[in-house]
Amino acid sequence: MSFRLSRALAVYRKDLLDLRKNRALLWSMLALPLVIVVTPLGIVWAYVRNPTDPGLKAIALYYDLTVDLTNVARFLIDKVLADWFVIYLVMPVFVPILISSHAVAGEKEKRTLEPLLASPVTPLELVVGKSLASLVPSVLICTLAFVLLCVGVDVVAWPVAKSLVLPNGMWLFGVFVIAPLFAFFGNGVAVLISARVGDSRLAQQLAGLMVLPLVGLAAGQFGGWLKAGPSYYAVIGGVVLLLDLAIIVAARRLFDRERLMTRWG
Amino acid sequence: MQGIRVEGLKKCFGARTAVEGLSFEVAPGEVFGLLGPNGAGKTTTVRMLTGLLAPTAGRASLCGVELPLRSDDDGVTLRRRVGLLTEQPGLYDRLSIRENLEFFMRLNEVDEVQAWKLAHALLERFDLAGREDEPVGGFSKGMRQKLAIVRALVHSPEVVFLDEPTSGLDPQSGRVVRDAIAELAREGRTMVLCSHNLHEVERLCARVAVIKNTLRSVASLTELRREGLALDVMVEGEAAAWVKALERLPFTVGHQLDGSRLRVLLDREAQSPDVIACLVQAGARVHSAHRAARPLEEAYLDLVREAGDAS
Repeated sequence: MSFRLSRALAVYRKDLLDLRKNRALLWSMLALPLVIVVTPLGIVWAYVRNPTDPGLKAIALYYDLTVDLTNVARFLIDKVLADWFVIYLVMPVFVPILISSHAVAGEKEKRTLEPLLASPVTPLELVVGKSLASLVPSVLICTLAFVLLCVGVDVVAWPVAKSLVLPNGMWLFGVFVIAPLFAFFGNGVAVLISARVGDSRLAQQLAGLMVLPLVGLAAGQFGGWLKAGPSYYAVIGGVVLLLDLAIIVAARRLFDRERLMTRWG
Repeated sequence: MQGIRVEGLKKCFGARTAVEGLSFEVAPGEVFGLLGPNGAGKTTTVRMLTGLLAPTAGRASLCGVELPLRSDDDGVTLRRRVGLLTEQPGLYDRLSIRENLEFFMRLNEVDEVQAWKLAHALLERFDLAGREDEPVGGFSKGMRQKLAIVRALVHSPEVVFLDEPTSGLDPQSGRVVRDAIAELAREGRTMVLCSHNLHEVERLCARVAVIKNTLRSVASLTELRREGLALDVMVEGEAAAWVKALERLPFTVGHQLDGSRLRVLLDREAQSPDVIACLVQAGARVHSAHRAARPLEEAYLDLVREAGDAS
Protein backbone atom coordinates (compact mmCIF):
# COMPACT_ATOMS: atom_id res chain seq x y z
CA MET A 1 0.00 0.00 0.00
CA SER A 2 1.38 3.38 -1.06
CA PHE A 3 2.21 5.74 1.83
CA ARG A 4 3.66 9.26 1.84
CA LEU A 5 4.20 10.81 5.25
CA SER A 6 3.93 14.33 3.76
CA ARG A 7 0.33 13.70 2.67
CA ALA A 8 -0.61 12.12 6.01
CA LEU A 9 0.92 15.16 7.76
CA ALA A 10 -1.04 17.50 5.48
CA VAL A 11 -4.26 15.79 6.67
CA TYR A 12 -3.02 15.96 10.28
CA ARG A 13 -2.22 19.70 10.03
CA LYS A 14 -5.54 20.50 8.39
CA ASP A 15 -7.53 18.59 11.02
CA LEU A 16 -5.56 20.20 13.84
CA LEU A 17 -6.17 23.64 12.34
CA ASP A 18 -9.86 22.87 12.01
CA LEU A 19 -9.97 21.59 15.60
CA ARG A 20 -8.26 24.75 16.86
CA LYS A 21 -10.99 26.83 15.26
CA ASN A 22 -13.84 24.65 16.60
CA ARG A 23 -14.42 26.24 20.00
CA ALA A 24 -17.49 24.17 20.87
CA LEU A 25 -15.52 20.95 20.42
CA LEU A 26 -12.53 22.35 22.34
CA TRP A 27 -14.71 23.22 25.33
CA SER A 28 -16.39 19.81 25.30
CA MET A 29 -12.93 18.19 25.17
CA LEU A 30 -11.75 20.19 28.22
CA ALA A 31 -14.81 19.50 30.39
CA LEU A 32 -13.99 15.83 30.99
CA PRO A 33 -10.34 16.36 32.08
CA LEU A 34 -11.51 19.07 34.46
CA VAL A 35 -13.91 16.66 36.18
CA ILE A 36 -11.31 13.89 36.24
CA VAL A 37 -8.73 16.15 37.92
CA VAL A 38 -11.00 18.01 40.34
CA THR A 39 -13.03 15.05 41.67
CA PRO A 40 -10.13 13.06 43.24
CA LEU A 41 -8.76 16.30 44.68
CA GLY A 42 -12.07 16.77 46.48
CA ILE A 43 -11.98 13.20 47.83
CA VAL A 44 -8.35 13.53 48.97
CA TRP A 45 -9.19 16.85 50.60
CA ALA A 46 -12.06 15.15 52.49
CA TYR A 47 -9.61 12.57 53.87
CA VAL A 48 -6.98 15.16 54.76
CA ARG A 49 -9.45 17.56 56.43
CA ASN A 50 -10.13 15.15 59.29
CA PRO A 51 -7.64 12.26 59.11
CA THR A 52 -8.62 10.81 62.49
CA ASP A 53 -12.30 10.59 61.73
CA PRO A 54 -13.48 7.17 62.97
CA GLY A 55 -15.59 6.88 59.82
CA LEU A 56 -12.38 6.72 57.77
CA LYS A 57 -11.20 3.73 59.80
CA ALA A 58 -14.47 1.95 59.04
CA ILE A 59 -14.05 2.65 55.33
CA ALA A 60 -10.40 1.49 55.38
CA LEU A 61 -11.31 -1.70 57.22
CA TYR A 62 -14.04 -2.38 54.65
CA TYR A 63 -11.37 -2.48 51.96
CA ASP A 64 -8.57 -4.13 53.95
CA LEU A 65 -8.87 -5.74 57.39
CA THR A 66 -5.06 -5.72 57.77
CA VAL A 67 -4.75 -1.98 57.27
CA ASP A 68 -2.38 0.05 59.54
CA LEU A 69 -4.92 1.98 61.62
CA THR A 70 -2.40 4.69 62.64
CA ASN A 71 -2.61 6.39 59.20
CA VAL A 72 -5.84 5.36 57.49
CA ALA A 73 -6.07 8.70 55.66
CA ARG A 74 -2.87 7.93 53.75
CA PHE A 75 -4.13 4.40 53.04
CA LEU A 76 -7.38 5.79 51.67
CA ILE A 77 -5.58 8.43 49.59
CA ASP A 78 -3.41 5.73 47.99
CA LYS A 79 -6.49 3.53 47.54
CA VAL A 80 -8.60 6.21 45.87
CA LEU A 81 -5.75 7.19 43.54
CA ALA A 82 -5.14 3.57 42.53
CA ASP A 83 -8.86 3.14 41.87
CA TRP A 84 -9.16 6.51 40.15
CA PHE A 85 -6.79 5.53 37.39
CA VAL A 86 -9.54 3.48 35.75
CA ILE A 87 -11.71 6.62 35.66
CA TYR A 88 -8.73 8.56 34.28
CA LEU A 89 -8.64 6.01 31.43
CA VAL A 90 -12.10 7.21 30.36
CA MET A 91 -10.33 10.38 29.17
CA PRO A 92 -7.91 8.81 26.65
CA VAL A 93 -10.82 6.79 25.26
CA PHE A 94 -13.40 9.53 25.15
CA VAL A 95 -11.37 12.53 23.90
CA PRO A 96 -10.22 10.73 20.70
CA ILE A 97 -13.80 9.57 20.18
CA LEU A 98 -14.95 13.21 20.29
CA ILE A 99 -12.27 14.33 17.84
CA SER A 100 -12.33 11.34 15.47
CA SER A 101 -16.10 11.13 15.11
CA HIS A 102 -16.09 14.80 14.21
CA ALA A 103 -13.05 14.64 11.93
CA VAL A 104 -14.08 11.48 10.11
CA ALA A 105 -17.88 11.62 9.84
CA GLY A 106 -17.62 15.44 9.66
CA GLU A 107 -15.97 15.05 6.25
CA LYS A 108 -19.06 13.26 5.06
CA GLU A 109 -21.50 15.72 6.62
CA LYS A 110 -19.70 18.74 5.16
CA ARG A 111 -19.46 17.00 1.77
CA THR A 112 -15.69 17.43 1.80
CA LEU A 113 -14.93 13.74 1.50
CA GLU A 114 -15.32 13.40 -2.26
CA PRO A 115 -12.89 16.21 -3.17
CA LEU A 116 -10.52 14.79 -0.56
CA LEU A 117 -10.68 11.24 -1.94
CA ALA A 118 -10.29 12.61 -5.45
CA SER A 119 -6.90 14.00 -4.40
CA PRO A 120 -3.78 11.80 -4.37
CA VAL A 121 -4.15 11.02 -0.64
CA THR A 122 -4.45 7.27 -0.04
CA PRO A 123 -6.92 5.79 2.46
CA LEU A 124 -3.99 4.76 4.69
CA GLU A 125 -2.56 8.29 4.67
CA LEU A 126 -6.01 9.65 5.40
CA VAL A 127 -6.56 7.35 8.36
CA VAL A 128 -3.03 7.94 9.72
CA GLY A 129 -3.36 11.73 9.37
CA LYS A 130 -6.77 11.78 11.02
CA SER A 131 -5.67 9.40 13.77
CA LEU A 132 -2.64 11.58 14.53
CA ALA A 133 -4.88 14.64 14.69
CA SER A 134 -6.98 12.81 17.24
CA LEU A 135 -4.24 11.06 19.22
CA VAL A 136 -1.75 13.92 19.61
CA PRO A 137 -4.21 16.33 21.28
CA SER A 138 -5.66 13.48 23.34
CA VAL A 139 -2.29 12.38 24.67
CA LEU A 140 -1.34 16.01 25.36
CA ILE A 141 -4.59 16.65 27.24
CA CYS A 142 -4.19 13.43 29.24
CA THR A 143 -0.59 14.31 30.12
CA LEU A 144 -1.52 17.84 31.12
CA ALA A 145 -4.40 16.51 33.23
CA PHE A 146 -1.98 14.08 34.89
CA VAL A 147 0.49 16.88 35.69
CA LEU A 148 -2.31 18.98 37.20
CA LEU A 149 -3.56 15.96 39.16
CA CYS A 150 -0.05 15.28 40.53
CA VAL A 151 0.45 18.89 41.61
CA GLY A 152 -3.05 19.15 43.06
CA VAL A 153 -2.89 15.85 44.97
CA ASP A 154 0.59 16.57 46.34
CA VAL A 155 -0.46 20.00 47.57
CA VAL A 156 -3.74 18.81 49.10
CA ALA A 157 -2.33 15.56 50.57
CA TRP A 158 0.90 17.09 51.96
CA PRO A 159 -0.34 17.56 55.57
CA VAL A 160 -1.04 13.82 55.80
CA ALA A 161 1.50 12.31 53.40
CA LYS A 162 4.51 14.57 54.14
CA SER A 163 5.93 13.32 50.83
CA LEU A 164 4.97 13.23 47.17
CA VAL A 165 2.03 10.90 46.58
CA LEU A 166 2.07 11.32 42.81
CA PRO A 167 3.60 10.52 40.42
CA ASN A 168 4.13 6.92 41.39
CA GLY A 169 5.26 4.00 39.28
CA MET A 170 1.77 2.73 38.58
CA TRP A 171 0.48 6.09 37.38
CA LEU A 172 3.58 6.76 35.28
CA PHE A 173 3.24 3.37 33.60
CA GLY A 174 -0.47 3.94 33.22
CA VAL A 175 -0.26 7.45 31.79
CA PHE A 176 2.60 6.83 29.38
CA VAL A 177 1.94 3.21 28.33
CA ILE A 178 -1.66 2.19 29.04
CA ALA A 179 -3.37 5.53 28.33
CA PRO A 180 -1.92 5.82 24.77
CA LEU A 181 -3.12 2.25 24.12
CA PHE A 182 -6.60 3.29 25.25
CA ALA A 183 -6.39 6.45 23.13
CA PHE A 184 -5.49 4.33 20.11
CA PHE A 185 -8.43 2.07 20.93
CA GLY A 186 -10.89 4.98 21.29
CA ASN A 187 -9.70 6.56 18.06
CA GLY A 188 -9.79 3.25 16.18
CA VAL A 189 -13.28 2.40 17.36
CA ALA A 190 -14.55 5.89 16.45
CA VAL A 191 -12.98 5.70 12.98
CA LEU A 192 -14.30 2.18 12.31
CA ILE A 193 -17.78 3.03 13.53
CA SER A 194 -17.77 6.22 11.46
CA ALA A 195 -16.96 4.09 8.44
CA ARG A 196 -19.91 1.81 9.12
CA VAL A 197 -22.58 4.34 10.10
CA GLY A 198 -23.27 7.52 8.22
CA ASP A 199 -23.82 10.01 11.00
CA SER A 200 -21.23 11.64 13.28
CA ARG A 201 -23.55 11.85 16.29
CA LEU A 202 -24.51 8.19 16.01
CA ALA A 203 -20.83 7.31 15.60
CA GLN A 204 -20.00 9.33 18.71
CA GLN A 205 -22.78 7.68 20.71
CA LEU A 206 -21.86 4.16 19.64
CA ALA A 207 -18.15 4.73 20.19
CA GLY A 208 -18.97 6.37 23.53
CA LEU A 209 -20.35 3.02 24.71
CA MET A 210 -16.73 1.84 24.81
CA VAL A 211 -16.26 3.67 28.13
CA LEU A 212 -18.91 1.50 29.80
CA PRO A 213 -16.53 -1.41 30.61
CA LEU A 214 -14.30 1.11 32.40
CA VAL A 215 -17.26 2.36 34.42
CA GLY A 216 -18.03 -1.27 35.28
CA LEU A 217 -14.46 -1.86 36.42
CA ALA A 218 -14.60 1.32 38.52
CA ALA A 219 -17.80 0.12 40.14
CA GLY A 220 -16.12 -3.21 40.94
CA GLN A 221 -13.13 -1.45 42.45
CA PHE A 222 -15.09 1.02 44.57
CA GLY A 223 -17.36 -1.83 45.66
CA GLY A 224 -14.29 -3.69 46.88
CA TRP A 225 -14.68 -6.67 44.54
CA LEU A 226 -11.72 -5.77 42.36
CA LYS A 227 -8.34 -4.73 43.72
CA ALA A 228 -6.61 -2.11 41.57
CA GLY A 229 -2.84 -2.16 41.35
CA PRO A 230 0.05 -2.35 38.87
CA SER A 231 -0.60 -5.95 37.81
CA TYR A 232 -4.35 -5.33 37.50
CA TYR A 233 -3.74 -2.39 35.16
CA ALA A 234 -1.05 -4.30 33.27
CA VAL A 235 -3.65 -6.99 32.49
CA ILE A 236 -6.12 -4.34 31.31
CA GLY A 237 -3.36 -2.79 29.18
CA GLY A 238 -2.59 -6.19 27.65
CA VAL A 239 -6.24 -6.72 26.72
CA VAL A 240 -6.43 -3.27 25.10
CA LEU A 241 -3.20 -3.96 23.21
CA LEU A 242 -4.84 -7.05 21.69
CA LEU A 243 -7.92 -5.00 20.83
CA ASP A 244 -5.68 -2.37 19.18
CA LEU A 245 -4.11 -5.06 17.01
CA ALA A 246 -7.59 -6.29 16.04
CA ILE A 247 -8.51 -2.70 15.08
CA ILE A 248 -5.45 -2.41 12.82
CA VAL A 249 -6.40 -5.68 11.07
CA ALA A 250 -10.03 -4.50 10.65
CA ALA A 251 -8.92 -1.06 9.40
CA ARG A 252 -6.64 -2.57 6.75
CA ARG A 253 -9.57 -4.59 5.44
CA LEU A 254 -12.11 -1.79 5.68
CA PHE A 255 -10.30 1.22 4.33
CA ASP A 256 -10.29 1.16 0.60
CA ARG A 257 -11.30 4.22 -1.39
CA GLU A 258 -14.51 2.73 -2.75
CA ARG A 259 -15.72 1.63 0.66
CA LEU A 260 -14.96 5.09 2.04
CA MET A 261 -16.76 6.66 -0.91
CA THR A 262 -19.88 4.52 -0.71
CA ARG A 263 -20.03 4.40 3.10
CA TRP A 264 -18.85 7.91 3.86
CA GLY A 265 -19.53 9.76 0.66
CA MET B 1 -1.42 15.63 -23.22
CA GLN B 2 -3.71 12.63 -23.65
CA GLY B 3 -7.46 12.60 -23.43
CA ILE B 4 -10.00 10.04 -22.26
CA ARG B 5 -10.92 6.69 -23.82
CA VAL B 6 -13.77 4.68 -22.32
CA GLU B 7 -14.71 1.16 -23.45
CA GLY B 8 -17.78 -0.71 -22.17
CA LEU B 9 -17.62 0.74 -18.68
CA LYS B 10 -20.12 -0.71 -16.22
CA LYS B 11 -20.76 -0.23 -12.52
CA CYS B 12 -23.02 -2.32 -10.30
CA PHE B 13 -23.80 -1.79 -6.64
CA GLY B 14 -24.84 -5.23 -5.48
CA ALA B 15 -27.61 -6.42 -7.79
CA ARG B 16 -28.35 -2.88 -9.05
CA THR B 17 -26.68 -1.71 -12.24
CA ALA B 18 -25.97 2.01 -11.93
CA VAL B 19 -24.55 2.44 -15.41
CA GLU B 20 -23.40 0.16 -18.24
CA GLY B 21 -22.30 0.13 -21.83
CA LEU B 22 -20.35 3.38 -21.70
CA SER B 23 -17.96 3.89 -24.58
CA PHE B 24 -16.66 7.24 -25.77
CA GLU B 25 -13.50 9.21 -26.38
CA VAL B 26 -12.61 12.77 -25.46
CA ALA B 27 -9.70 14.49 -27.16
CA PRO B 28 -7.25 16.81 -25.38
CA GLY B 29 -8.50 20.38 -25.55
CA GLU B 30 -12.11 19.28 -25.98
CA VAL B 31 -14.99 20.33 -23.73
CA PHE B 32 -17.18 17.25 -23.58
CA GLY B 33 -20.67 17.23 -22.06
CA LEU B 34 -22.06 14.42 -19.94
CA LEU B 35 -25.84 14.78 -20.01
CA GLY B 36 -28.51 12.81 -18.26
CA PRO B 37 -31.36 13.16 -15.77
CA ASN B 38 -30.94 12.71 -12.02
CA GLY B 39 -29.91 9.14 -11.19
CA ALA B 40 -28.77 8.47 -14.76
CA GLY B 41 -25.29 7.48 -13.63
CA LYS B 42 -23.34 10.66 -14.42
CA THR B 43 -21.81 10.94 -10.96
CA THR B 44 -21.03 7.21 -10.90
CA THR B 45 -19.32 7.61 -14.29
CA VAL B 46 -17.22 10.53 -13.06
CA ARG B 47 -16.36 8.66 -9.87
CA MET B 48 -15.16 5.69 -11.92
CA LEU B 49 -13.11 7.93 -14.19
CA THR B 50 -11.50 9.71 -11.24
CA GLY B 51 -10.59 6.39 -9.63
CA LEU B 52 -13.01 6.77 -6.72
CA LEU B 53 -15.03 3.71 -7.72
CA ALA B 54 -13.70 0.59 -9.41
CA PRO B 55 -15.60 -0.36 -12.58
CA THR B 56 -17.45 -3.68 -12.46
CA ALA B 57 -16.61 -4.24 -16.14
CA GLY B 58 -14.99 -2.42 -19.02
CA ARG B 59 -11.92 -0.26 -19.08
CA ALA B 60 -10.81 3.28 -19.60
CA SER B 61 -7.68 5.32 -20.06
CA LEU B 62 -7.23 8.84 -18.72
CA CYS B 63 -4.11 10.84 -19.47
CA GLY B 64 -2.23 7.58 -19.94
CA VAL B 65 -3.43 5.84 -16.77
CA GLU B 66 -5.45 2.67 -17.28
CA LEU B 67 -8.66 1.87 -15.42
CA PRO B 68 -9.28 -0.38 -13.53
CA LEU B 69 -6.28 0.84 -11.51
CA ARG B 70 -3.56 -1.74 -11.13
CA SER B 71 -1.93 -0.26 -8.03
CA ASP B 72 -2.16 2.51 -5.46
CA ASP B 73 0.64 4.30 -7.29
CA ASP B 74 -1.47 4.32 -10.46
CA GLY B 75 -4.28 5.86 -8.41
CA VAL B 76 -1.98 8.58 -7.09
CA THR B 77 -0.71 9.32 -10.62
CA LEU B 78 -4.28 9.48 -11.96
CA ARG B 79 -5.51 11.81 -9.24
CA ARG B 80 -2.51 14.10 -9.71
CA ARG B 81 -3.51 14.51 -13.36
CA VAL B 82 -7.24 14.91 -12.75
CA GLY B 83 -9.19 17.80 -11.22
CA LEU B 84 -12.70 17.32 -9.89
CA LEU B 85 -15.37 19.87 -9.10
CA THR B 86 -18.01 17.98 -7.15
CA GLU B 87 -21.70 18.85 -7.15
CA GLN B 88 -21.34 20.37 -3.67
CA PRO B 89 -18.33 22.68 -3.22
CA GLY B 90 -17.15 20.64 -0.18
CA LEU B 91 -14.98 23.29 1.46
CA TYR B 92 -13.72 23.45 5.03
CA ASP B 93 -15.87 26.22 6.48
CA ARG B 94 -13.66 27.14 9.42
CA LEU B 95 -10.59 27.41 7.22
CA SER B 96 -9.73 30.40 5.04
CA ILE B 97 -9.31 30.39 1.25
CA ARG B 98 -5.55 30.21 1.78
CA GLU B 99 -5.80 27.26 4.19
CA ASN B 100 -8.27 25.38 1.98
CA LEU B 101 -6.07 25.76 -1.10
CA GLU B 102 -2.80 25.09 0.75
CA PHE B 103 -4.21 21.80 2.01
CA PHE B 104 -4.94 20.58 -1.51
CA MET B 105 -1.60 21.86 -2.82
CA ARG B 106 0.13 19.76 -0.14
CA LEU B 107 -1.95 16.67 -0.94
CA ASN B 108 -1.01 17.08 -4.60
CA GLU B 109 2.63 17.75 -3.65
CA VAL B 110 2.92 20.57 -6.16
CA ASP B 111 5.43 23.41 -6.20
CA GLU B 112 3.51 25.81 -3.95
CA VAL B 113 5.08 28.94 -5.47
CA GLN B 114 3.88 27.95 -8.97
CA ALA B 115 0.53 26.74 -7.64
CA TRP B 116 -0.05 30.03 -5.81
CA LYS B 117 0.73 31.98 -8.99
CA LEU B 118 -2.04 30.06 -10.73
CA ALA B 119 -4.34 30.29 -7.71
CA HIS B 120 -3.88 34.06 -7.41
CA ALA B 121 -4.64 34.51 -11.11
CA LEU B 122 -7.81 32.43 -10.76
CA LEU B 123 -8.87 34.16 -7.53
CA GLU B 124 -8.37 37.50 -9.26
CA ARG B 125 -10.41 36.36 -12.22
CA PHE B 126 -13.20 35.02 -9.98
CA ASP B 127 -13.27 38.19 -7.88
CA LEU B 128 -12.03 36.43 -4.74
CA ALA B 129 -8.65 38.18 -4.48
CA GLY B 130 -8.05 40.05 -1.23
CA ARG B 131 -10.23 37.65 0.76
CA GLU B 132 -7.64 34.89 1.08
CA ASP B 133 -7.58 34.99 4.88
CA GLU B 134 -11.34 34.98 5.50
CA PRO B 135 -13.02 31.77 6.69
CA VAL B 136 -15.03 30.41 3.78
CA GLY B 137 -18.01 29.55 6.02
CA GLY B 138 -19.23 33.12 5.59
CA PHE B 139 -19.05 33.08 1.79
CA SER B 140 -22.07 33.09 -0.51
CA LYS B 141 -22.98 30.00 -2.54
CA GLY B 142 -21.48 31.54 -5.67
CA MET B 143 -18.20 32.44 -3.96
CA ARG B 144 -17.91 28.93 -2.58
CA GLN B 145 -18.55 27.47 -6.00
CA LYS B 146 -15.85 29.67 -7.56
CA LEU B 147 -13.38 28.72 -4.83
CA ALA B 148 -14.16 25.03 -5.40
CA ILE B 149 -13.33 25.54 -9.08
CA VAL B 150 -10.00 27.15 -8.12
CA ARG B 151 -9.29 24.20 -5.83
CA ALA B 152 -9.98 21.75 -8.67
CA LEU B 153 -7.42 23.56 -10.83
CA VAL B 154 -4.55 24.53 -8.50
CA HIS B 155 -2.52 21.44 -9.34
CA SER B 156 -2.81 22.12 -13.11
CA PRO B 157 -4.65 18.89 -13.98
CA GLU B 158 -4.68 17.55 -17.53
CA VAL B 159 -8.28 16.37 -17.25
CA VAL B 160 -10.92 18.34 -15.37
CA PHE B 161 -14.36 17.03 -14.43
CA LEU B 162 -16.84 19.78 -13.61
CA ASP B 163 -20.20 18.88 -12.10
CA GLU B 164 -22.62 21.77 -12.67
CA PRO B 165 -19.86 24.40 -12.61
CA THR B 166 -22.12 27.44 -12.83
CA SER B 167 -24.69 26.20 -10.34
CA GLY B 168 -25.51 29.02 -7.92
CA LEU B 169 -23.59 31.65 -9.85
CA ASP B 170 -25.02 34.97 -10.98
CA PRO B 171 -25.01 35.53 -14.77
CA GLN B 172 -21.81 37.60 -14.69
CA SER B 173 -19.91 35.02 -12.63
CA GLY B 174 -21.35 32.25 -14.79
CA ARG B 175 -19.88 33.93 -17.83
CA VAL B 176 -16.48 34.33 -16.14
CA VAL B 177 -16.49 30.61 -15.31
CA ARG B 178 -17.54 29.63 -18.84
CA ASP B 179 -14.75 31.81 -20.28
CA ALA B 180 -12.28 30.17 -17.92
CA ILE B 181 -13.43 26.68 -18.99
CA ALA B 182 -13.03 27.59 -22.66
CA GLU B 183 -9.57 29.02 -21.97
CA LEU B 184 -8.48 25.89 -20.09
CA ALA B 185 -9.60 23.79 -23.06
CA ARG B 186 -7.60 26.02 -25.41
CA GLU B 187 -4.54 25.28 -23.25
CA GLY B 188 -5.04 21.63 -24.22
CA ARG B 189 -6.77 20.37 -21.09
CA THR B 190 -9.54 17.81 -21.45
CA MET B 191 -12.72 19.15 -19.87
CA VAL B 192 -15.75 17.03 -18.99
CA LEU B 193 -18.85 18.94 -18.03
CA CYS B 194 -21.71 17.21 -16.19
CA SER B 195 -24.81 19.30 -16.41
CA HIS B 196 -28.57 19.50 -16.60
CA ASN B 197 -28.17 23.02 -17.94
CA LEU B 198 -28.52 22.47 -21.67
CA HIS B 199 -27.89 26.13 -22.51
CA GLU B 200 -24.54 25.91 -20.78
CA VAL B 201 -23.73 22.69 -22.62
CA GLU B 202 -24.66 24.35 -25.92
CA ARG B 203 -22.36 27.26 -25.19
CA LEU B 204 -19.36 25.19 -24.13
CA CYS B 205 -19.41 21.69 -25.56
CA ALA B 206 -18.76 20.54 -29.08
CA ARG B 207 -19.79 16.94 -28.30
CA VAL B 208 -21.93 15.29 -25.65
CA ALA B 209 -22.76 11.86 -24.30
CA VAL B 210 -26.35 11.37 -23.21
CA ILE B 211 -26.67 8.68 -20.56
CA LYS B 212 -29.55 7.21 -18.68
CA ASN B 213 -28.05 4.16 -17.01
CA THR B 214 -26.81 3.21 -20.47
CA LEU B 215 -25.21 5.29 -23.16
CA ARG B 216 -27.99 6.74 -25.32
CA SER B 217 -25.90 8.76 -27.71
CA VAL B 218 -22.46 10.23 -28.28
CA ALA B 219 -22.60 12.94 -30.86
CA SER B 220 -21.77 16.48 -31.74
CA LEU B 221 -24.51 18.93 -30.87
CA THR B 222 -25.28 19.39 -34.56
CA GLU B 223 -25.66 15.62 -35.01
CA LEU B 224 -27.77 15.38 -31.89
CA ARG B 225 -30.18 18.04 -33.12
CA ARG B 226 -30.52 16.12 -36.39
CA GLU B 227 -31.50 12.91 -34.60
CA GLY B 228 -35.26 13.06 -35.27
CA LEU B 229 -36.77 15.48 -37.73
CA ALA B 230 -38.97 18.51 -37.52
CA LEU B 231 -40.83 20.29 -40.29
CA ASP B 232 -41.81 23.94 -39.79
CA VAL B 233 -44.95 24.76 -41.80
CA MET B 234 -46.20 28.37 -42.00
CA VAL B 235 -49.93 28.47 -42.73
CA GLU B 236 -52.40 31.26 -43.19
CA GLY B 237 -54.22 32.04 -39.95
CA GLU B 238 -53.93 30.09 -36.74
CA ALA B 239 -52.02 26.84 -37.16
CA ALA B 240 -54.12 25.22 -34.42
CA ALA B 241 -57.00 24.93 -36.92
CA TRP B 242 -55.06 22.31 -38.92
CA VAL B 243 -53.87 20.02 -36.14
CA LYS B 244 -56.88 17.75 -36.56
CA ALA B 245 -55.96 17.22 -40.20
CA LEU B 246 -52.71 15.58 -39.12
CA GLU B 247 -54.75 12.70 -37.63
CA ARG B 248 -55.60 11.64 -41.19
CA LEU B 249 -51.98 10.76 -41.85
CA PRO B 250 -51.23 7.01 -42.04
CA PHE B 251 -48.43 7.54 -39.46
CA THR B 252 -48.35 9.31 -36.10
CA VAL B 253 -46.57 12.65 -35.71
CA GLY B 254 -46.03 15.02 -32.86
CA HIS B 255 -46.62 18.73 -33.19
CA GLN B 256 -45.97 22.12 -31.62
CA LEU B 257 -47.90 25.34 -32.23
CA ASP B 258 -46.71 28.93 -32.33
CA GLY B 259 -49.25 31.28 -33.92
CA SER B 260 -49.38 30.50 -37.61
CA ARG B 261 -46.35 28.19 -37.36
CA LEU B 262 -46.99 24.45 -37.07
CA ARG B 263 -43.94 22.37 -36.15
CA VAL B 264 -44.48 18.72 -37.11
CA LEU B 265 -42.14 16.15 -35.52
CA LEU B 266 -41.39 13.31 -37.92
CA ASP B 267 -39.72 9.94 -37.86
CA ARG B 268 -38.39 10.04 -41.41
CA GLU B 269 -37.48 12.70 -43.95
CA ALA B 270 -39.80 10.93 -46.49
CA GLN B 271 -42.85 11.85 -44.39
CA SER B 272 -42.50 15.57 -45.21
CA PRO B 273 -44.37 15.57 -48.58
CA ASP B 274 -47.23 13.55 -47.04
CA VAL B 275 -47.61 16.09 -44.23
CA ILE B 276 -47.70 19.06 -46.64
CA ALA B 277 -50.15 17.27 -48.95
CA CYS B 278 -52.38 16.37 -46.02
CA LEU B 279 -52.53 19.99 -44.83
CA VAL B 280 -53.23 21.29 -48.35
CA GLN B 281 -55.99 18.69 -48.90
CA ALA B 282 -57.57 19.78 -45.62
CA GLY B 283 -57.73 23.34 -47.02
CA ALA B 284 -54.71 24.94 -45.38
CA ARG B 285 -52.94 27.67 -47.33
CA VAL B 286 -49.28 26.76 -46.87
CA HIS B 287 -46.92 29.73 -47.18
CA SER B 288 -43.70 27.87 -46.57
CA ALA B 289 -42.33 24.59 -45.27
CA HIS B 290 -38.73 23.85 -44.22
CA ARG B 291 -36.67 21.51 -42.06
CA ALA B 292 -36.30 22.91 -38.55
CA ALA B 293 -33.22 22.58 -36.39
CA ARG B 294 -34.43 20.97 -33.21
CA PRO B 295 -33.52 22.61 -29.92
CA LEU B 296 -30.99 20.55 -27.96
CA GLU B 297 -33.54 20.21 -25.20
CA GLU B 298 -35.95 18.40 -27.49
CA ALA B 299 -33.32 16.01 -28.83
CA TYR B 300 -32.11 15.36 -25.28
CA LEU B 301 -35.62 14.71 -23.94
CA ASP B 302 -36.33 12.33 -26.81
CA LEU B 303 -33.20 10.34 -26.03
CA VAL B 304 -33.96 10.22 -22.34
CA ARG B 305 -37.59 9.28 -23.03
CA GLU B 306 -36.50 6.48 -25.36
CA ALA B 307 -34.32 5.15 -22.57
CA GLY B 308 -37.26 5.26 -20.20
CA ASP B 309 -39.51 3.46 -22.71
CA ALA B 310 -36.90 0.79 -23.29
CA SER B 311 -36.58 0.11 -19.58
